[in-house]
Amino acid sequence: MTLAETILSRFAAEGIGLAEVPILQPADPFLDMAGEDLRRRIFLTQSETGESLCLRPEFTIPVCLDHIARQAGTPRRYAYLGEVFRQQRDSGTEFLQAGIEDLGEADVAQADARSIADAWRLLRAALPNQSLAVTIGDQAVFESVLAALGLPRGWQMRLLRAFGSPAMLQAALADLANPPKRRSLGTSIARIVAARDVEALAGFVEARMNETGLSPAAGRSPTEIARRLIDKAELGAVRLADEAFEALRQFLSIRVPLSQAPAALQQFADEADLVLDTALEQFSRRAEAVGAEAVESDAVLYDASFGRPLDYYTGLVFEIRAENDARSLVGGGRYDRLLTMLGAADPIPGVGFSVWLDRVEALRGVTP
Amino acid sequence: MTLTLALPSKGRLKEQAIERFAQVGLQVQLPTDPRSYRGRIEGPLPIDVVFLSASEIAQELGQGSVDLGVTGEDLVRETLANWEVHVSIEARLGFGAADVVVAVPDVWLDVETMADLDDVAAEFRQRHGRRLRIATKYWRLTQQFFSLKHGIQVYRIVESLGATEGAPAAGLADVIVDITSTGSTLTANHLRVLSDGIILRSQACLVASKRARSDEDAKALTQVAKLLA
Repeated sequence: MTLAETILSRFAAEGIGLAEVPILQPADPFLDMAGEDLRRRIFLTQSETGESLCLRPEFTIPVCLDHIARQAGTPRRYAYLGEVFRQQRDSGTEFLQAGIEDLGEADVAQADARSIADAWRLLRAALPNQSLAVTIGDQAVFESVLAALGLPRGWQMRLLRAFGSPAMLQAALADLANPPKRRSLGTSIARIVAARDVEALAGFVEARMNETGLSPAAGRSPTEIARRLIDKAELGAVRLADEAFEALRQFLSIRVPLSQAPAALQQFADEADLVLDTALEQFSRRAEAVGAEAVESDAVLYDASFGRPLDYYTGLVFEIRAENDARSLVGGGRYDRLLTMLGAADPIPGVGFSVWLDRVEALRGVTP
Repeated sequence: MTLTLALPSKGRLKEQAIERFAQVGLQVQLPTDPRSYRGRIEGPLPIDVVFLSASEIAQELGQGSVDLGVTGEDLVRETLANWEVHVSIEARLGFGAADVVVAVPDVWLDVETMADLDDVAAEFRQRHGRRLRIATKYWRLTQQFFSLKHGIQVYRIVESLGATEGAPAAGLADVIVDITSTGSTLTANHLRVLSDGIILRSQACLVASKRARSDEDAKALTQVAKLLA
């Protein structure tokens, strides 16, 4: 069987229909969701009327958009198989991708485990003799550690955005240990800030906006600016305690087989004297569910620092690699915010993965 | 073959470039017909001169259709993907100094640093139903600075080909990335550069294309670069 046939037969065995996704896509949703950095990596073009279009750079966003447009019922799973187009990769510009998106399944732990297991079985079918390694991370656990440490909300958000990028996380932690010096705002403003008078400060900002010809309605509002300035002044006076730093460092260094991860996290929570109950419960349920699927359990590693810095990822992230190969064959994760951001009227949870088939095909050539 | 040199076709940049070459004994003969865009440097180092706009010069150097050019470092880095592969900066010429900067409305009292802007960008969609908008003609420099250097992913670039500093007041963008030499245009438009918002300190440079050339031409090019270094 060719690789495509193997994959299509897996989809059929799971009873999942193939999604139809046109190659030419409106570019805005991709740039809006993934950010401008994507612009360098996709193929952009324009319609005669000036609409920005691109060659499909991935499947998740168009599958979700189509689901929203058709107001399809949930839960529902979509499979796909086809080319994606990217610039500035190590080789080539056309890549074959396949994957499954699982939208609207309320049992999050089960859906997560099924997504990992589907990806695993798909690779197993394609590469029967290859040793595979799964790494999973969970942003929700990191989020709950930050909350349990009692960090101010502004700091929690900043650290959360840096999750998954060691360099960004280092920079954020350095700033928190040693906040950069603030410029002086002048005594009249400083006095209002010190009094925490949001209304007076917003009034001041609005007057300044009107003087300088900036519409208070077009972008950031006077109240928003006033509130953040006062929050910031308060944050500047707080230092992160050494114990909190140490706890974060401890947490981020946890790397254990998934089967041992619930116990390791509980031990960490006990030693750091943190209450992580809800997040740990979810985590353990998922770990159990993964264990119950036909995934070789010692092949699954939990890495507490593994995440993706995109604001629609909310919980699980995972990747699967061939042993001794740095490039991932599968990337997946939970994106509970994505469908709302794309315009769904009600929140729809989602989890999915995609497989880089060219990399899989290359391995099929070398393994017996 | 004779080396070709692209010089800015108008304004202060043109005058200063010609002056700088004259200082090292390379006299640019201007065309006798003022509508022509070709000139010549005579002498032991003969060079054909073409006059182009500064951004065209960066483009032509990247494509290897001229050997040397005088243009801003900002335009080299903005116009060319992987610029180091295609061109090399042979000399910084000491004029045309300007910084590419991130500037926000001065009334954003709470935003002083890129970390502040990161905070604001992260919550922007939730508050305003759209991403933070940055007006600029520097797509590439903006992406590199925001995405790669500061890890800020969620913003949209609004292309602005002129009067970028007016975009926030016109409601077209929230912040800008633009070039400034004295900062007076920004101040006049009630904008303020972030304390760590300098993306690039640019000035006019002598830039060489890395295209293949004869040994003789390569030697001449090295000599010109040495004179101006």
